[in-house]
Amino acid sequence: MFKTAASRLRALKGRTSTFNRGVARFSSLNDVATKPPSSSPFGVLFGWLTGGKSRSMPPLDFPLSGIKLPPALPDYVQPVEPQITTLPNGVKIASLKSEKPAASVGLYVNCGSVYETPESSGATHLLEHMAFKSTRNRSHLRIVREVEAIGGNVQASASREQMAYTFNALKTYVPEMVELLIDCVRNPAFLDWEINEELQKVKHDISEASTNLEALVLEAVHSVGYKGGLANPLLAPESSISRLNSNVLEEFLSENYTAPRMVLAAYGVEHEELLKIAELLLSDLPSVPPAKEPKSVYTGGDYRGQGDSGETHFALAFELPGGWLNEKDAMIVKVLQVLMGGGGSFSAGGPGKGMHSRLYSRVLNQHLELHSISAFSSIYNNTGIFGIQAATGSDFVTKAIDIAANELIAIATPGEVDQVQLDRAKKSTKSSILMNLESRMVVADDLGRQILTYNEWKLSQLLKAVDEVSLEDIASIGQKLLSSPLTMASYGDVTKVPSYDSVSKKFHVK
Amino acid sequence: MGGHLNAYTSREQTTYYAKVLQSDVPKALSILADILQNSKFDDNRILRERDVILREMEEVEKQPDEVIFDHLHATAFQYSPLARTILGPANNIKTISKEHLQSYIKTHYTAPRMVIAASGAVRHEDIVETVKGLFTKLSGDPTTASQLVAKEPSFFTGSEVRMFDSDLPLAHFAVAFNGASWTDPDSIPLMVMQAMLGSWNKNAGGGKHMGSELAQRVAINDIADSYMAFNTNYKDTGLFGVFATAKPDCLDDLAYSIMYEITKLVYRVSEADVIRALEIFPAPSLGWTSAVAEDIGRQLLTYGRRIPLAELFARIDAVNASTIKRVANRFIYDRDIAIASMGPVGSCPTTTGSDAGPTGTDISFALP
Repeated sequence: MFKTAASRLRALKGRTSTFNRGVARFSSLNDVATKPPSSSPFGVLFGWLTGGKSRSMPPLDFPLSGIKLPPALPDYVQPVEPQITTLPNGVKIASLKSEKPAASVGLYVNCGSVYETPESSGATHLLEHMAFKSTRNRSHLRIVREVEAIGGNVQASASREQMAYTFNALKTYVPEMVELLIDCVRNPAFLDWEINEELQKVKHDISEASTNLEALVLEAVHSVGYKGGLANPLLAPESSISRLNSNVLEEFLSENYTAPRMVLAAYGVEHEELLKIAELLLSDLPSVPPAKEPKSVYTGGDYRGQGDSGETHFALAFELPGGWLNEKDAMIVKVLQVLMGGGGSFSAGGPGKGMHSRLYSRVLNQHLELHSISAFSSIYNNTGIFGIQAATGSDFVTKAIDIAANELIAIATPGEVDQVQLDRAKKSTKSSILMNLESRMVVADDLGRQILTYNEWKLSQLLKAVDEVSLEDIASIGQKLLSSPLTMASYGDVTKVPSYDSVSKKFHVK
Repeated sequence: MGGHLNAYTSREQTTYYAKVLQSDVPKALSILADILQNSKFDDNRILRERDVILREMEEVEKQPDEVIFDHLHATAFQYSPLARTILGPANNIKTISKEHLQSYIKTHYTAPRMVIAASGAVRHEDIVETVKGLFTKLSGDPTTASQLVAKEPSFFTGSEVRMFDSDLPLAHFAVAFNGASWTDPDSIPLMVMQAMLGSWNKNAGGGKHMGSELAQRVAINDIADSYMAFNTNYKDTGLFGVFATAKPDCLDDLAYSIMYEITKLVYRVSEADVIRALEIFPAPSLGWTSAVAEDIGRQLLTYGRRIPLAELFARIDAVNASTIKRVANRFIYDRDIAIASMGPVGSCPTTTGSDAGPTGTDISFALP
């Protein structure tokens, strides 16, 4: 009975019943049922139960009355330069103004798996998981709820050389954002139960990663290509799970999270305002001499990992000496990567997704045996790696390696690349940089990371460097790359992969 | 030009978009105009694209969320237009011809049903001038999309579709109620309800401390790998519900939790919970020019105007616990549900009992 009555009432209410609370009591259900929906008064009894107090709105295709619109933004906004302040203890604070309603704040630390020692191996990966957990001032619950309360989101990411902690929310909340962010980075409590919980997730990550052959190949390129810091795995090794604990993390933190290695970068914030808040929170960090970056020496080498898939993934890579700090070469390599391009043999893409890149038009469209082939680069502060990685059926491996080697040799040969291809690559490099910078998170991120590397924001210089790339540059960088020892890594069915020497000989004829 | 050119389709709208540097805007517009008005549909190209679509279909079939939502639409809107998948049945893909495409374009790509939106480094007047010169060949057929929808409306039917595959390690399912249309004022409270239910996955930083009570329930009891509340709008109807992934032995508990939390929106809603949800979504991605252009286009097609942010926020702020209860009463209380599930779903609860009861205890979709 109750149910029927209720459903009849509901039918009555329609979509936009206005409700006068307690104006009339109905005597019988039939009585109510005959009244038109617009004026149907619900009893107090139903009112509190069904939300009778709610105000109804006009449909969305009609404007709501009484809304004051803020003035529109000007058509042309003067590009602004970031402002950077260095505190006496070495912390850098950078900001970039913007007219948009949201802000993005990030704390970047010059620290990553390159700084790990055998004892702290895997710490970076665990730290990424432990970000925004309990601090000495806040419980994890409080952090989660504080972030939710301002509708923001937080994120941490670890790479080989840099840690990033970011916080996005509306502009009005910048003070809260900065405070919480700094608290989370400076005062983590590393509670044992939280560490154990996260270690389980790290374990899960490791087992997930073992199915991603592409990523494994890239990891292997680093671990055999380098001696020193860059050879450290980014993903915690299995053996570290039992070794890592709060002491290891605390020690790693106190050694590496030092003032001169931190940058606070914000997008959408007035510099003065940011400085006022952040200075108080960061200036008491002790000033210590900057630690020496562990040396990584590129040696080249060969790695093979047998897996049970019928596919073989392999990578051929060479060193780019200088890394980001040699910005001209770094940008040439970026253009080179776009020029070679590549991708999966199947792509739902249309034009603009690199279908005209060399690896697409010269390789993928002709050899259907290749499942994917693409150029990759991993550039670090002082060194970098460039190469080709591919996946193919195991029978085709020898041929596929030949093809990849020929492609690499081709770009090092003057006259092989024509101007049209180069111009296209330059334009898409440029537009992909600019289009990525439309996102405020990417802007804050880029600002923070560039300051860690260069101590300034070099966007315009980098774009200019892209413009200046010439055909000779491509060929000479190609030769420079190929003159370094080869790094070769393969995963999957590796029985048919040719020997290192035979591949290396293709590049080093003499 | 170093630009991007792409086209994508949803159940109600098709977007052709180009993203280029400032200097290339007129060139990009003329390419779009050319695509829309002068496509030749070479037989060879059609042949090739057919393969691409079939490959795409294979890819889609590998993504559980895509499969689940296709089947959810197919069952919830059975015998009506929204049941059709975007890619279409494989048979049609194989037989579709130049004539089909041309007549489709002729009837549907009409000027009154088209919006050209631009955002970023553009000036409105310039765009208008360029477009005037370029888009001249479109048919002026005054039939609107709303008229077409009225002629062939979609109906929600409480129902269930289940795809057994005991080999898969995880079960996926979605449970949905009939939701609101684009213009329905209650679509805003539904959005808030979606935020209240929230989403969760094993790797989310918040873990069991998330504000959403469903997330807490799921995290503390460890009964799902991930879940996500959804709220989709169409011209004349919508879908509101939860999509979840879990181990087969958790399905009963998970289904109970989901239905309990959804049903709770009808009779017990705390102000604090609503306020938390209100805060969550005013931070949409307002940055990307392509997202903004798409948003303008979509809003003009669905609302006939772009809702100013200030108005959207005002509408969101007007939602309180009472609104939630009223809207939940309209869409959830004693309503039919549609379920789509796949994987090892032998133990997945069914729709028996068919609708969400007035209290949390006689939950429909739990208790087989």
